[in-house]
Amino acid sequence: MATGESWRIRYLPPAISLIAGAALWQWVGSQTSAAFLSTFSATVARLVALTVSGEVVTALAESMTLFFTGLVIAILIAVPLGVMLARFRVLRVASETYIMMLYATPMAALIPFILSLMGFGFTPKVVVVVLFAMFPILYNTIEGARSVKPELIEVARSYRSSEWGLWRDVLIPYTLPFALTGIRQGIGRGLVGMIAAEFYLSASGIGRLITVSERDFDTAGVLASIIIISILGAALMAVGRRLENHFAAWRGLGR
Amino acid sequence: MSSGAATIRRAAVTDPTHRTESASQSRIRTVGAGKRYGDFQVFRDVDLEVGAREVVALVGPSGCGKTTLLRCIDGLLPISDGEILIEGARVTEPRAGVAMVFQHFGLFPWKTVFDNVAYGLRLAGAAKADIAEKVPHFINMVGLKGFEKVYPYQMSGGMQQRCGLARALAVEPKVLLMDEPFAAVDAQTREILQLELLSIWEMRPTTMLFVTHSIEEAVLMGDRVVVLKGRPSTVHEVIEVDLPHPRTRETLTLPRFAELREIVWNTLKDEARQAEFELEKGR
Ligand SMILES: Nc1ncnc2c1ncn2[C@@H]1O[C@H](COP(=O)(O)OP(=O)(O)OP(=O)(O)O)[C@@H](O)[C@H]1O
Ligand SMILES: [Mg+2]
Repeated sequence: MATGESWRIRYLPPAISLIAGAALWQWVGSQTSAAFLSTFSATVARLVALTVSGEVVTALAESMTLFFTGLVIAILIAVPLGVMLARFRVLRVASETYIMMLYATPMAALIPFILSLMGFGFTPKVVVVVLFAMFPILYNTIEGARSVKPELIEVARSYRSSEWGLWRDVLIPYTLPFALTGIRQGIGRGLVGMIAAEFYLSASGIGRLITVSERDFDTAGVLASIIIISILGAALMAVGRRLENHFAAWRGLGR
Repeated sequence: MSSGAATIRRAAVTDPTHRTESASQSRIRTVGAGKRYGDFQVFRDVDLEVGAREVVALVGPSGCGKTTLLRCIDGLLPISDGEILIEGARVTEPRAGVAMVFQHFGLFPWKTVFDNVAYGLRLAGAAKADIAEKVPHFINMVGLKGFEKVYPYQMSGGMQQRCGLARALAVEPKVLLMDEPFAAVDAQTREILQLELLSIWEMRPTTMLFVTHSIEEAVLMGDRVVVLKGRPSTVHEVIEVDLPHPRTRETLTLPRFAELREIVWNTLKDEARQAEFELEKGR
């Protein structure tokens, strides 16, 4: 009984709200010129057509290569750097202001600068994704690593742990859930960076799909591409959340 | 044991089980040890010797610096005055062969019981086969069999404490420092663990220095009871526990056990009264 109840609460309201949204979209779309807003059914039809023609797959492959290259680099830079900055006070104090400023800077403002510095090509686009994704990861990692219990560091010292052992057994496992919170935020920001890079630097992937559709006044194509990104973003965030829960299980908060 | 009277001696008593008085005989030796945090003097002039096969109980009121002293002996904290020697060598950092059981347990929340107990062995570079054999052995010993895959947050305080004890025992240290090792377990488990630890010690006598708030525990387990007292604190009294070995449950029923318990109680009483009085005044 209880499971039936929770099932209804979990799935029924979102399902109804999604159907209502689609219906509203369909109605508004049918009342407006197709140049401004296509209907829900037209968008879905376009989405199917784009998928069948293989354009979606090609675009997704391009975009995801860019996105994951950037995200992985961002993680590889931000996590070790974050732990290091938390562990060595001098470094942290010296760099704190820069990190706060960069964290607060809208990264889109840096794109023209990157363009003039590095031109078109894959690398500058990766740089954009890295810049977008890196700072939430760095910020959360520092916060996490700073809160490592001194008692646990004491235990590691008592058992004569090396510095590397201390990282492996204490600092990294402790910081991981915090870093993953940052990574989840970084995924969201990284997607923005990916689209921005595909718009403003050399066009590619989903970004190009949107630009091309727009140029052709293919409103349904634009909306279909946007839906792809939305679904992608939601899926990646869900994966991030899963990972976070998995690695935070020891905090006793997980299932 | 020849004389029934209480044998109370002032600080710096040499190991009674060894006749030689040379410094090299004592595993742990502190000479005029003092510790300050800024202007705050925790303890001063602590002279203490613990022999290679000796068990010493450290008692004293809360906040008198027992944990601090243990940390200094483990090499986790530098002392401010005097010196601390283990096997004649000055302690400047944690040493191999010295293990500590922490008052705060200090278990790694992301490691299972098995991995927590294996921690010290792995850091010491023990072979896989060695770990596979020793870890379950010590987990059984502290009564955590069946909990190998459990995480600390899934255990009670007493179970966590026993896990911390197993971790220290697993490295088979020459010097075992224990900070209130049984404070979080129930009375019955406590007695079982005390006797278990005593039998481990009988099989493989090592140096043990442990802090406790239980006078019974101090007398049952210790060859000597060292009383730390005062502000700043120092070794106030050293009470020889002339009870026969091996110590068992029967030890608890000896008249001499009751006598010694009274003696320790009396040395601590004044301070306890004073603490109570200060509490009253504070209200
Ligand atoms: N890092 C520190 N900085 C300043 N003072 C400290 C520090 N650590 C401990 N103290 C002080 O030193 C004194 C002794 O502390 P300690 O923890 O050694 O007491 P204890 O005898 O173990 O007490 P308990 O029986 O409650 O465990 C206390 O007054 C405490 O406030
Ligand atoms: Mg203490």
